[in-house]
Amino acid sequence: MRPFLAQFKRELRGFFLSPYVFVLLGFWYLLNGFFFAYLLRSPAIQNDLTLLPPYLFGNGLLVWLLLPAFPPLLALRLLAEEQRLGTLETLLTAPVRDAAVVLAKYLAACVFFLLFWAGVLALFVLLAAHGAILDWGRVLCGFAGAALVSFLFLATGLWASSWSGNLVLAAGGGAALNYLLLFVPALLLEAPGTLGALARGAHLPDFLDRAFAAGLLDSYAIAFHLVLAGLFLFLTWLRLAARRMLA
Amino acid sequence: MIRAEQLVKRFGAVPALDGVSFAVAPGEILGFLGPNGAGKSTALRILSGWLPPTRGRAAIAGHDLVTASLRARASVGYLPENFAAPTEMRVGEYLRYRAELKGMPPPAARARAAAAAQEFGLGERWRQPFGTLSKGFRQRVGLADALLADPPALLLDEPFSGLDPIQRQEFKQILRDLARRGKAILFSSHVLPEVQDLVSRVLILHQGRAAAAGTLAELQQRLRASAPLRVLPAAPADAEALRALASAHGFALLREDPDGAVLLNAGPVANRPALLRALAARGVEILEFHTLQPDLEQIFLLLLQGRAA
Repeated sequence: MRPFLAQFKRELRGFFLSPYVFVLLGFWYLLNGFFFAYLLRSPAIQNDLTLLPPYLFGNGLLVWLLLPAFPPLLALRLLAEEQRLGTLETLLTAPVRDAAVVLAKYLAACVFFLLFWAGVLALFVLLAAHGAILDWGRVLCGFAGAALVSFLFLATGLWASSWSGNLVLAAGGGAALNYLLLFVPALLLEAPGTLGALARGAHLPDFLDRAFAAGLLDSYAIAFHLVLAGLFLFLTWLRLAARRMLA
Repeated sequence: MIRAEQLVKRFGAVPALDGVSFAVAPGEILGFLGPNGAGKSTALRILSGWLPPTRGRAAIAGHDLVTASLRARASVGYLPENFAAPTEMRVGEYLRYRAELKGMPPPAARARAAAAAQEFGLGERWRQPFGTLSKGFRQRVGLADALLADPPALLLDEPFSGLDPIQRQEFKQILRDLARRGKAILFSSHVLPEVQDLVSRVLILHQGRAAAAGTLAELQQRLRASAPLRVLPAAPADAEALRALASAHGFALLREDPDGAVLLNAGPVANRPALLRALAARGVEILEFHTLQPDLEQIFLLLLQGRAA
């Protein structure tokens, strides 16, 4: 447990000390702030503030345009950067399990990514401070759903980060995987038979829009995200462990 | 303490190591020598748990690097050839993190990191980011890191590279002290004169195979017959006659030294008395006639030339 905690602390601290991470965060806040201000001008939203969480945490353009790209940009420092700097050899020859390294890195990234969504959550707090009546159940469920999708995208980003020391490949590969996860089911929604059923069962925007941002904690959606994230974490572990096992 | 048995490592069809065996006992310093690409770093990476062997067995303190990797890694400190740490981390912060990573509780990790920094002259660099350190201080951080958990075995890959002469001497003294404390030390180097006065034994690798192994004295003894012959005539004018007679007795000229001495190849050992007699008969007075005691670099070259031949 100690090696895990040491690595977790080191990664979390590393995020807080990386200037480029704060550039990402600033960019994210800026775009979400503009989007928030734009939405508030809409008469429909002014009449019904319960429409706001689905836009900011669910099916809003920014969520689907930016969200697949941001987690891999954060995750690239976790393994690709270590390979590029040559620090991975020192890390993995220490008496620490590969699985503990993967989990510590992943959980640190997840905790840090909550800051991204916390900024959006703060916009709702700001609204409430100005006297708006909000449905906090929808807001917090929307926050949880957005965080869950982000955690899935961080897992794919971490796997892409394990491929090599090439940062562009790590960021680009992770983002490409995330866009595939997002758009391939969307393209197959109307497909007949099992394929269509599978696509509908794996359509991420639906989980956010119809479940979380609508104030529902959908156990299927939670399990789906966790299982898929677990699969990518397993692939990441496999990538590290294979180097030690494959003669 | 450190044991390798018939280690084989192939990268695709290319053999990097081909059946290398050795052992390092507590308190012993084994120098792993060889030209670039000989397989030194590969062997160290196998022993550190970074790479698996294709065949053979490697163990640290009795723990197999493949089947009990975690315990083996807990018993060894490893300094890779190009040691690197996260550039933004301060020296003290890095050492504390590494001590915790190696299983120490935070208060003990803090104390151990401070002690290691003091021991390796990093006290004044405690708050300096790793990225701003000189090569010498980076190596010190690497060595301090390798020793944080006080492992019984140490693997050092080219620990002298990039160090200035003073730092090298300091580093060598540190290694001697560690060996005196009972650590088994295996290090690789191609700076041969630098390791001559440090190692207990050497293992010379060439093209993934052990070309020779033993103490320096054993290797010198083994290569005496193939070591060059130095002959110094009393009169410089006799050098011509010396060269002609040497050639007639089967010795080849290697070089002429500025003091007038002639360096001949080992030649047929049995012909040496005959050459001496012929020189005396020609009236050539000889001041020196002896086999050069090969130093480590010459042993290295003789072995590799012998292998190539």
